[in-house]
Amino acid sequence: MSETISNVTVTITVNGRQRDVTCEPRKLLSDVIREELVLTGTHVGCEHGACGACTVLVDGAAVRSCLLFAAQMDGAEITTVEGIANPDGSLSDVQEAMRDNHGLQCGFCTPGFVITLTAFLRDHTDPTDDEIREAISGNLCRCTGYHGIVNAARQVCGRANGGES
Amino acid sequence: MKPSKFHYHAPATIGDAVGLLGAHADEAKVLAGGQSLVPMMSLRLATFGHLVDLNKVDGLAGIERSNGHVRIGALTRQATAEHDTTVASDVPMMAKALPHIGHFQIRNRGTVGGSIAHADPASELPAVALALDATLEAAGPGGERQIAAADFFEGTWQTALAEDEILTAVRFPVWGAASGFAVEEVARRHGDFAICGAVCGVELDGDAIVRAAIGLFGVGPTPVRSTLAEQALIAGGAGSDLADIARQAADPLDPSDDIHASGAYRKQIAAVVVRRALTKAIEEARS
Amino acid sequence: MTTTVGRYIGQSVKRREDPRLLTGHGRYVDDVQDAGTLHVAFVRSNVARGRITELDVSEARALPGVEAVYTADDLNPMIQQYWASMMGPRIEMGGESVYPPVSVLAPGDVRYVGDPIALVIATSRYIAEDAADLVVVDVEPQRPVLGLREPITNTDLVHPETDSNVSQTMPLPEIPEIEALFANAPHVVTRTFAGARATNVPMEPRGLTVHYDRYRNEMLIRAATQSVHEIKAFAARLTGVPESNVRAVADDVGGGFGQKMMVMREEAAVIMAAFKLGSSPVKWIEDRRENLMASNQARSEEGDLTFAVDAEGHIMAVKCNFFEEVGAYPPSAGATAMLAIGVFTGPYKIPIIIPGCTAVYTNTVGKSAYRGPWALETIFREQMMDHVAREIGMDPIEFRRINIIQPDDLPFKTATEMTLENITPSETLEQVVEMLDVDSFRAEQARAKAEGRLLGLGIGGYVEPSAIAFGVLNSDPAVMTMDVSGKVQVRLGTGSHGHSIETTIAQVVATHLGCDIDDVAVIQGDTATSPMGPGTGGSRTAVIAGGAAQTASIEMREKLVRIAAQLLEASPDDLEVNGGVVSVKGTPQAAIPFAQLAMTAHMAPDMLPEGMGPGLEVIARYRPPTEFTWSNATHGCVVEVDRETGMVDIKRYIVSEDCGQMINPMVVEGQIAGGVAQGIGGVLFEDMAYDSDGNPLATTFLDYLLPSAPEMPDFEYGHVESMSNTLGGYKGMGEGGAIASPPAVANAINDALAQIGVPALTRFPFGPSQIIDAINAG
Repeated sequence: MSETISNVTVTITVNGRQRDVTCEPRKLLSDVIREELVLTGTHVGCEHGACGACTVLVDGAAVRSCLLFAAQMDGAEITTVEGIANPDGSLSDVQEAMRDNHGLQCGFCTPGFVITLTAFLRDHTDPTDDEIREAISGNLCRCTGYHGIVNAARQVCGRANGGES
Repeated sequence: MKPSKFHYHAPATIGDAVGLLGAHADEAKVLAGGQSLVPMMSLRLATFGHLVDLNKVDGLAGIERSNGHVRIGALTRQATAEHDTTVASDVPMMAKALPHIGHFQIRNRGTVGGSIAHADPASELPAVALALDATLEAAGPGGERQIAAADFFEGTWQTALAEDEILTAVRFPVWGAASGFAVEEVARRHGDFAICGAVCGVELDGDAIVRAAIGLFGVGPTPVRSTLAEQALIAGGAGSDLADIARQAADPLDPSDDIHASGAYRKQIAAVVVRRALTKAIEEARS
Repeated sequence: MTTTVGRYIGQSVKRREDPRLLTGHGRYVDDVQDAGTLHVAFVRSNVARGRITELDVSEARALPGVEAVYTADDLNPMIQQYWASMMGPRIEMGGESVYPPVSVLAPGDVRYVGDPIALVIATSRYIAEDAADLVVVDVEPQRPVLGLREPITNTDLVHPETDSNVSQTMPLPEIPEIEALFANAPHVVTRTFAGARATNVPMEPRGLTVHYDRYRNEMLIRAATQSVHEIKAFAARLTGVPESNVRAVADDVGGGFGQKMMVMREEAAVIMAAFKLGSSPVKWIEDRRENLMASNQARSEEGDLTFAVDAEGHIMAVKCNFFEEVGAYPPSAGATAMLAIGVFTGPYKIPIIIPGCTAVYTNTVGKSAYRGPWALETIFREQMMDHVAREIGMDPIEFRRINIIQPDDLPFKTATEMTLENITPSETLEQVVEMLDVDSFRAEQARAKAEGRLLGLGIGGYVEPSAIAFGVLNSDPAVMTMDVSGKVQVRLGTGSHGHSIETTIAQVVATHLGCDIDDVAVIQGDTATSPMGPGTGGSRTAVIAGGAAQTASIEMREKLVRIAAQLLEASPDDLEVNGGVVSVKGTPQAAIPFAQLAMTAHMAPDMLPEGMGPGLEVIARYRPPTEFTWSNATHGCVVEVDRETGMVDIKRYIVSEDCGQMINPMVVEGQIAGGVAQGIGGVLFEDMAYDSDGNPLATTFLDYLLPSAPEMPDFEYGHVESMSNTLGGYKGMGEGGAIASPPAVANAINDALAQIGVPALTRFPFGPSQIIDAINAG
């Protein structure tokens, strides 16, 4: 425990900006994003890869940042929820649809859903309802019952909502 | 929930990686996708002095077909294999099993070799490897060796790999054209580890079954191959009473209880998933 | 959507909270990273009950980066007072509420797995956890006290300071006339129902940062809390720091569902630790394992129910005897069933109720509020309605129709002396029956059965005692100020952890003040800027804080109208307010915008009407006319049960809700959906089980199963809007979704299974394993 372990330095591109980060090898990517890079939109909901709140894009792929060590990320391109809005700061289609459909309440799981849906809808332009629900099955939300989130995905694909009043 | 300290190594060659494992013996652990390992480290259920990250090792990822086999490099991401056309056409059981692993974000990072080497008895890929008679390629200080899947899984999270050996690839035999495969599992929620699951394959010659594979997972400390049931199926052909074959597959099992299901439930459901998977596999083989 | 300026109530206005939350710019407690902040990790017991025989923190203290390691001896003796505002002072202080013994760290013995034994403070959470691993703890295990009924007579005690494990009891009375009634009733049905132990699981776990500055004798607390005022008062009582010197702040809070309403032991420990340290900010962010292992839990409850029913199907009388465990250190140790009993008759005309209840301490984590804390009454009663109907050979919907409160029964005095009014249980029942199209369903069910598929339909109805208004919960404040520019700020004692209060209260204010919604700022979650209120919980905010905001808006508008009348030389009665402008009715050119009126009030007081002082401030407080504002709903659910695997697929889920005047239908439906998902989870997935040694078995998300998207249906909503007697006609509805859904799902499953002669299940969870057990037994 008292043995000295040297820090690692990695170069990461985060939301388009290159950053050098020096940290302990054991430091989780989620913690480095939040503490070293001060991008606190990436939330830590379980730290065992089950809730999806910490999802970010690494080289374009949606992954759990709590299941990676920052030490592994040398040369990686990372997009966090702070990097999703349009360049002028307006909400992206996914973000706007989440707002239109009340896809968030407390907002804590929301960054993970925004990243997940952004990646999924980039790769699937016309998913079925089952595919949408499966795509977000790795993200837990305790507030919405997922209905508003599913409707948000439907909106992005240009489809009607289900279960209206 | 933060991991305890470790030295981080990112070797560029498999030889270096094996060397690091040898040098640090039981203090070292291989890191591939990390989707099972990192949470165990964060929960401090596992601590290692040295982590040997394979992600920078050249040549560990890739899918190629040769000599009647499909060879999948150990570091191939599950998502890559899931969407690979060679896997889809030549190892359909694998392609059907992959979407059951966790969630797509997990598969984006998780590796084929990592899942097999981790040897969780409730996960799909070890059962696929076992059912299909896969060959596992391992690198160690003495060079490469090949391990039959039947000899690989020794217990929960325990394999035939030595401490200083690394799984480098998995080779799956390619079945004939008149084959069908199916994966059926019962999990509490989508993406959960299965309470019980079956991977089945049949190769037909008319109504005769010339090759059969029945693998089960979530029913014991290792994946289970139901050789007796396979033989009965081959003996009976495509018109066999599949419920009876499935019961033969389930009969020898002695699964244990956990919070998600009783052992008795698992055993009962094993027969259901085998029957359902065989039904689908035979349908597919006929079409 | 576009909104008509001046009229916002009733519209699905998009949330103003969303842009920041969608882009990663929320400010949750862990997002504030002040320089010099120290981090806490707890050393916790891995034994349910036992004596601590060794506790050595020396190696941990010596680890570089460790600031302090505290044990019970360091913190417990410093505690001044330990009680919650909602429950009032302890019995030994002259109060009436039952509390467990006081300790923030295990006092020589451990009483549940997860019991905090030591608290480590270090420069990072990583180092704090390293140090926690170095604390040497040896515990001599003892046989744990477990279960709901066994502890009543068990002479092993959870708390040696008490003489019994029973924390509160009201024995079931035996009344000869009633026994005679039951003996002679045409139908008597008895069942025991059990809930599955559940926990709230806000996606943001608990957490707080406490900075006590000993030289100023000031304490600043940032917390993930539902009530900043409660944690402020609690911290003052704990430490003796004057309450006026304590400030509590909660910006964005990632869900609560009751878990963040009361101050719990770890939070108290962190407050005490920061107080003892007296310098740096001390932060504790609960990790998920801690949250599942040691944050409060609920629903470990059973009910023995007996219904006497006459030949036509009228309920003649019920007996209900509830058993519950409160764990070792609940924030309050009283029996939840006390409130449940009061509302047990629900939407039905039940003339006689014979109630009893018993709560026991056990060597498990403490019980506290979880969305609908009294929900056991509905969960058990609504299942019982189906059991009774089945047993007497009546359709469950018909059985409900016969007994349900009809419009001309209102106001209805229940057997427990509650007066129900302004409710619509029969209307919501009929709406759900219509939306389900029950006749078509029964035909489809028969067709499916012929194909070997099992469909089932279930109903659940309830009447919710929303917006509880007694004790500290009696009222809510709103302080409204108008700036020189004519924009308003309304300060509330509430806290938003998903409730959309910033949006909905702005809708109320803009509507009643008569201005653009963008001119209204809603301020909450900081005791330095917000007036004292009990916080957000108990389905109260729309009703009570909404009433306060409405009161303040009306007063402010009247003030503005009086000023305008003076300036326009018109009578106030001839003026109207729209879009932030006061004008003469029918003469729109005779108009003065709010900004000009505000400038007058702030800068030219001599121009104000006679007797009106300068400035534009309104202090309002709203106390509802009754202690409960009743809302109601009926839920309907259709499931398919796989008879071979026991897996349940929810095909349809319908809610007909009457929450009075809806402020924002989108928000109302969102609250329902989230509650229903939690209720479904409680039946199908969630089970915080303990083994016979008192070990929790679900301490990760791999074992404590929250519903995920594929398991959830699209929800369908029906609305009945009958006005309450509160100021805006609002009724609380935040909890109802979670209350009525468990029995609706359970009844649907049992309806499916009944077709193949399977006796109805009565104990949650109804997981696949349990369902197959039932099928096998049937």
